[in-house]
Amino acid sequence: MAQAMTTDAGSHHASALDTPPTSAGAQLRARLLNALQTAVPGCQVLTGEENLAPYETDALPVYRQLPLMVALPDDESQVQGVLRECRRLGVPVVPRGGGTSLSGGATPMPNSLVLSLARLTRVLEVDPLARTATVQPGVRNIRISEVAAPYELYYAPDPSSQIACTIGGNVAENAGGLHCLKYGLTVHNILRVKAISMDGEVLEFGSLAPDAPGLDLLALLIGSEGMFAVVTEITVRLIPKPPVAKLVLASFDDVETAGDAVAAIIGEGIIPAGLEMMDKPAIAAVEAFVHAGYDQEAAALLLCEADGNREEVAEEVARICAVLQRHEVRDVQVSSNEAERLKWWSGRKNALPAAGRLAPDYFCMDGSIPRRAIGKLLKRIQGMEEVYGLQCLNVFHAGDGNLHPLILFDGNDADQLRRAEDFGADILERCVELGGTITGEHGVGIEKLNSMCVQFTPAERETFLAIKRAFDPAGLLNADKGIPTHARCAEYGHMHVSGGRLPFPDIERF
Amino acid sequence: MPLPAVTSSPVLERLREQIGAARAAGGMLRIRGGDSKSWYGNPVPGPVLDVRDYAGVVAYDPAELVITARCGTPLAEIEATIAQNGQMLPFEPPHFGPTATLGGCIAAGLAGPRRAYAGAIRDYVLGVTIMNARGEVMRFGGQVMKNVAGYDVARLMAGSLGTLGVILDVSLRLLPVPVATHSLRFVMDENQAIETLNHWAGKPVPMSASAWHEGELLLRLSGSKAGVQSAIAQLGGDLVADDGSTAYWQALREQTSDFFAPSATALWRIAVPPTTPALALEGAQWLEWGGGLRWWRTPEPAAEIRRVAERAGGHATLFRRGTNTEGGLPAFSSIPGPLAAIQRRLKAVFDPTGIFNPCRIDPRF
Amino acid sequence: MQTRLQQAMRETPEGEEAEAILRKCVHCGFCNATCPTYQILGDELDGPRGRIYLIKQMLEGHATSADTRQHLDRCLTCRNCETTCPAGVQYGRLLETGRRLALKRNPRSLTEQAMRRALAAFLHTGVLFTPVLRLGQVLQAALPAAVADHIPARRPAAGVWPRMTHERKVILLQGCVQPAMAPNINRATARVLDQASIQVLRASAAHCCGAIHQHLDFEAASLADARRNIDAWWPLIEGGAEAIVSNASGCGVALKEYGHRLRNDPHYARKAEQISAMTKDIAEVLEPHAAQLAQEARFPPPAGVAFHPPCTLQHGLQIRGKVEAILAAFGINARLPHDAHLCCGSAGTYSLFQPELSLTLRDEKCRALTQTGATCVATANIGCIAHLQNGTAIPVVHWIEVIDSVLCGTAL
Repeated sequence: MAQAMTTDAGSHHASALDTPPTSAGAQLRARLLNALQTAVPGCQVLTGEENLAPYETDALPVYRQLPLMVALPDDESQVQGVLRECRRLGVPVVPRGGGTSLSGGATPMPNSLVLSLARLTRVLEVDPLARTATVQPGVRNIRISEVAAPYELYYAPDPSSQIACTIGGNVAENAGGLHCLKYGLTVHNILRVKAISMDGEVLEFGSLAPDAPGLDLLALLIGSEGMFAVVTEITVRLIPKPPVAKLVLASFDDVETAGDAVAAIIGEGIIPAGLEMMDKPAIAAVEAFVHAGYDQEAAALLLCEADGNREEVAEEVARICAVLQRHEVRDVQVSSNEAERLKWWSGRKNALPAAGRLAPDYFCMDGSIPRRAIGKLLKRIQGMEEVYGLQCLNVFHAGDGNLHPLILFDGNDADQLRRAEDFGADILERCVELGGTITGEHGVGIEKLNSMCVQFTPAERETFLAIKRAFDPAGLLNADKGIPTHARCAEYGHMHVSGGRLPFPDIERF
Repeated sequence: MPLPAVTSSPVLERLREQIGAARAAGGMLRIRGGDSKSWYGNPVPGPVLDVRDYAGVVAYDPAELVITARCGTPLAEIEATIAQNGQMLPFEPPHFGPTATLGGCIAAGLAGPRRAYAGAIRDYVLGVTIMNARGEVMRFGGQVMKNVAGYDVARLMAGSLGTLGVILDVSLRLLPVPVATHSLRFVMDENQAIETLNHWAGKPVPMSASAWHEGELLLRLSGSKAGVQSAIAQLGGDLVADDGSTAYWQALREQTSDFFAPSATALWRIAVPPTTPALALEGAQWLEWGGGLRWWRTPEPAAEIRRVAERAGGHATLFRRGTNTEGGLPAFSSIPGPLAAIQRRLKAVFDPTGIFNPCRIDPRF
Repeated sequence: MQTRLQQAMRETPEGEEAEAILRKCVHCGFCNATCPTYQILGDELDGPRGRIYLIKQMLEGHATSADTRQHLDRCLTCRNCETTCPAGVQYGRLLETGRRLALKRNPRSLTEQAMRRALAAFLHTGVLFTPVLRLGQVLQAALPAAVADHIPARRPAAGVWPRMTHERKVILLQGCVQPAMAPNINRATARVLDQASIQVLRASAAHCCGAIHQHLDFEAASLADARRNIDAWWPLIEGGAEAIVSNASGCGVALKEYGHRLRNDPHYARKAEQISAMTKDIAEVLEPHAAQLAQEARFPPPAGVAFHPPCTLQHGLQIRGKVEAILAAFGINARLPHDAHLCCGSAGTYSLFQPELSLTLRDEKCRALTQTGATCVATANIGCIAHLQNGTAIPVVHWIEVIDSVLCGTAL
């Protein structure tokens, strides 16, 4: 994961706060402050270590970096003004929404300005006939479904952090969620995005029409981790709320059987609205918070949702239960009312932070693999727990093959932190080996930069870097995220060599 | 295991050589698969780069709902293979001829009747392997449903019309064929149809296609038996016999009805926000995709058609030129300035000297 | 979360507790989603996660200015974040430490301190508060809006105190401002409990729970309040009172904290712990009797009741759904406003020191309550009653008064 952080991405690591600001930094800060006060007078700006510190990290707090400044614009024109001034002075910009990134997507860069979109929270329009909502980027994901609810419509992607994460951040990360199997990711549910380039130019991606002329830049923008442009307005697709939803809760005596049951459900031609799994330690952690009544003896718990009209749901639930019965299920329950269904889901949705009850820190991995390999990977992870001497909980979007192993550690112990990072990198490399990917929905951020060296060849990475330049020639927008530099990959390769392994011999070394 | 990265094979070497030669000579290439859609987009000069012999299904595990196949694989072959397992390409791509290939399908980015309810091609593209203008083989995306490692270059390839490189293989997400499908017929005028379709789209109705033409609205329902039956009971209309219904949607998908037959007048594809009321154009129309797509046979000048489309928040494509259509008319609505600049730079990332299908999308690159 | 507390700090019991709390926080940011001030101000520094970070910075020995104190002051202490937090971070406790520290590092101006002292004296002693309140109510129309807005309206007559004695006895915390502002609430409580064959005892020496002093930075005086109350109640407890009942959820939370706050006082620690354990909200006492009492209700239930659950009830005491269930047993379908989990902006003395935020929240809450179509708003805390009543023409009452009206026919 991030050992090389201190080498080419500045001092992202825990010691950042001890590094005094350079005099060059102080000069730049003064010039920027002056420029912003003149050009964007209405925009609140935070300075001073005391006020900046709470912005030095996001939901991955082991990586920290004090920014030069934080800007809190109230509207699009202020966003534009801030970007223009930063471009003029060559100041890197890190956009930030709810600050819930698990990959460090909103962690500041050295000498950067953090551009908070948290005050752009207006719902501009809900059009029930067209089934669209147009909102500002700081609107929280769940808020969209709340404002659509009177029309019996909702916004489908529901990342676990949906109460807190913003739609702007969802666009940046191509956020997933618990119901992607049937309803898709962010990219499948966004029609149009208005954004401002680093040059301050207003760009409009996509269209309310089914397509737009030219290349599909909207698809490329979504998931670009805030590196192409700053999103200021989003039109999302709303879909009708299914009249009925039932959640099947099944427990298993071992994780592999549960994994097989997942594959069997899909193999049966069923596309459940959600298909989620948790292992024993994860069950224990969330039960302490939500008291959902999960089977605490089970080795694995499967949550499988059917939605649609009454008859449809009854038909699907019966089919799901039949498959489960063929797979040595311990116990199957079907939610009997909406309160119960939401309670069962709430356990799953709070699973990540609930790990905070077990250990001071965790890394949440996000590997994605073919479903058939789930059991194999879980076995490997069990072995790794011993190798690295750390506990790992597993929570995952089983239907999508997207795993969230939570590696527990104590960040105050430098050795544990190092082992946790190695453990994480090891899991991700196994994901690539199994035909998967290092990140399914959380983004690369700063956390998985090294693992990108494993997944992509130098030519592929060069293509990414060139695409970044096509949008942001000056390389100022969230520039040290997402795509590793060639130098970084070469160094990561060296480290592996010195460790006696050479997992990617094809890599170019500089 | 991950799919082995094939970076070299006799076919790939041939492609690499041809590309290298074109590059050295400062020339261009027209990438061609089954040649079923060469009329789509702006005409491309230059010799043909034939990719038909890079063919075959690379991986297909029905339980994963993913197929990976090479660009030259006939689209019909892919559909037949997955149909054996009760699966389908959810975007119902038109073939426009028996020779259509997978690569051409992705490059053209055209979807069929199911588009408004199931999504576009790019929504189902999980990964691609391409060869760029330097002859480098690169893979983006993968075979898994959720993947945000690196920029989403794979989806960018859908509809790129070969301007960014040779699409060598593609991984697509599949869906099970719905258990039940029936179609309903209603009589109503255009604006009523648009209003009704949008209204239904906001209800939990399992629609899978819709079309309106000359006062007649057809609606296809697909899903579970129970779901389709209850929608039929709820919506009314006349149930269309299954044979007739299958033929209707097939004819619409492949544009084989008289409306779409070659003619003196051009065929325009106008994409607009689905709630857009009837467009003020003269001529004949076939409306699809819940109101989002309007096919027009109209004698009106191109500039007027584009003005009407753009005023509605959409765009107009000169889909098939008529015998009367003036030459040199660009196929697509103009890309707005700032986006055009980005697209030009993007093109240069993959193809700095402009070898691949120059001008196919935009005369500027 | 990683922490690097200063050695000196880590060795204090306070520092030890703070570190344990900090280390539970995983910085996920879920708390900001339900934080009223973050939702209004959109600044990390005005949400729980940022405040936790500011406190961490102080504990780690970083320099701070009045900015940190200001951001901590802006917290309503609604503890909505604690309900939201999946990791179980005890934010309220940490904030107490943080505020103390911030105050020590950057004391308030002398004028501000004097104002707080005067306010504490004024609110705390009925001797002053009651006549001034009455005078204010009389003069309200003639006063400038800014002042008039803070004067609670005159409320319905109080009715009688029941005379029956019962075997089961509870002690009622009468409160400091409540008897003057809304004299009917305590009496209604006594009447309803009387119907349930529970006798309500009062200790005349008991007074304010200590929250007012605490809100106004008078830590020692606040603890003195607690000790005085303990002394006043102790004989009654020894005489067999089974619980201390609070009908103001804000005061209930304060009583629940006695055990923790006096844990290092050798004379009071044990008693305080017992008092906290014995403290019950009126809803908890009444719940087991609701169905039975409902059968005895002789008066028609009012229509159009909306319920505003105070933060101290739902987040502080973690009592959710109980009041609604009791009302439902009496045939009253209490409607919850949109975003019922959010604070109304009252928050003790908050409305006096942060008027802008407080009024924004109040107006938002009143709008949401009005949207329910309610003709009567019921809640469970005197602070919320007074605060909301100044923002709406709909009568705002304590829910126990609603029950009392159904049981005893008292006018609402």
